Amino acid sequence: MLDVSGLSVRYDSVIAALEGIDFEVGEGRIVALLGPNGAGKSTLLKAIAGMLPFEQGEIASGKAVFDGVLLNGKHPAAITRSGIALVQDGRQCFRNLSVGENLKAASFRHSKGAEDRLQLVLTYFPILEEFYARPAGVLSGGQLQMLVIGMALMIQPRLLMLDEPSLGLSPVMVQSVFEIVERLHQDLGMTVVVAEQTVPRLMEIADDVYVLSRGHSVLHAPPDEIDEDRLQSLYLS
Amino acid sequence: MFVLQLAVAGIAIGSVYALIALGIVLIYKCSGVVNFAQGGYAMLGAFITYGLTSVGLPSVIALVLAIAVMGGLGALTQILVLRPMLKAPVVAVMMATLGILITFRAVCLLIWGPDQIGFPALFPIGAIELSGIFMTYNYIAAFLLSAILCAGFLAFYHYTPIGLMQRCTADNTRAALAVGIHVSNQVTIAWTASAMLAGLGGALLASLNGLSLGLSNIGLVAFPVIVLGGMTSLPGAVVAGLVLGILQAVTDGVLTPAIERFLREHTDIYSVGTLQQVIPYALLVLVLLVRPQGIFGTKESERV
Repeated sequence: MLDVSGLSVRYDSVIAALEGIDFEVGEGRIVALLGPNGAGKSTLLKAIAGMLPFEQGEIASGKAVFDGVLLNGKHPAAITRSGIALVQDGRQCFRNLSVGENLKAASFRHSKGAEDRLQLVLTYFPILEEFYARPAGVLSGGQLQMLVIGMALMIQPRLLMLDEPSLGLSPVMVQSVFEIVERLHQDLGMTVVVAEQTVPRLMEIADDVYVLSRGHSVLHAPPDEIDEDRLQSLYLS
Repeated sequence: MFVLQLAVAGIAIGSVYALIALGIVLIYKCSGVVNFAQGGYAMLGAFITYGLTSVGLPSVIALVLAIAVMGGLGALTQILVLRPMLKAPVVAVMMATLGILITFRAVCLLIWGPDQIGFPALFPIGAIELSGIFMTYNYIAAFLLSAILCAGFLAFYHYTPIGLMQRCTADNTRAALAVGIHVSNQVTIAWTASAMLAGLGGALLASLNGLSLGLSNIGLVAFPVIVLGGMTSLPGAVVAGLVLGILQAVTDGVLTPAIERFLREHTDIYSVGTLQQVIPYALLVLVLLVRPQGIFGTKESERV
């Protein structure tokens, strides 16, 4: 479904953030993208979603292909339309707009079937219905995470990419975020990429694990071959 | 009664200030750029309206055409000058808008010269009297047009899909990109709308006060308006525009003569000049001292 090969990314034309990354995501799979802070996980997801040019970054070499279509050089708007949704780190949403407006804005470019998707999102996240008319800025961290995942669903993605969804959340909240990911995968057959630093829970649901360190891909293995000790040694290597 | 009379004139002028200031706030909200060229767009809008009437077009048609031209010009400026500066620091972009202002002034100077020009009447000449207060049609029309457009614009901003995309872009560029909004197109829309508002505002001001290159200074008056209104608040800009208009009118009609009378009795000073032009900036300093976030602004705080 998604095929990234030999991808190198530079920031400000000089700083190498990724070097020759190969990364493959098969249809209907949950792929964990692991790595310590600064390993290049966010950069890889942003490169796929076309967000790099807006952060002084560029793809220096290599390519990302989604369903046979080259993503290099495409505008993020075109990439979301082709079925890729990126839930960025920092729970990026519109905090001065109401929860409802946030969801509406996300479906604006994908208006077909938007009403049904809205109902689906509100079933998955009843809290969003409760806060529907309130500004998104009043939501707690966990609720915001629900909102941004809900917004991504409004895009009607076939590939959902989550960048550190558990960061700054309580263990209970982390648990429910991953339950949601699992349900999306089971109910809707959605393909999911989750970037995290370390989450044992993620290992339980992932089909495939990639580990990045300092911009390089250091391991690609099924989850049962990976444990905490091995991750630690990879992170420190 | 005299003060009321002044207030009526002030409200009319103030509503035009609001119109022009709305454009600055719109661009600032979605791109973080303070557009110093706004006064230039106002001046150019007035000059183009004048130019079109001088080739024989009826004034109202000339005005509508001029606003359309200004919209195109606003979009062109954003596409040709600002888009290539995507990676430039915001300060550099603001300097570019100053360059645009200077260019507009130079072009108008070349074509229409430095002198004050009698602006063609946009509205019928005459006045009505309402319990002792005289209102010329000119002032009434300027007020009504500005008020309707301000209200219409705010409604557009809050209740239409494009307005929603504008608010998304203003709120969080990264999130807007991620949900598939073309942020640079939204900024182009903001420049188009802003230049159209400025063009209309400029023509209305010219119809009240006459037309010269000095009209571009209105951009400088608009800054105290938006700071007073809180930089990012559109309703704030409207209210602040009205307050400033009234203050200027009352200063001109009451305060200046009173001060001059006092000075003439006690000193050799004969005149204090046009005090009403100082008022916006005095107010600006005062607001920045007492309430830096403006009257309608909110203190920046974010949950992390």
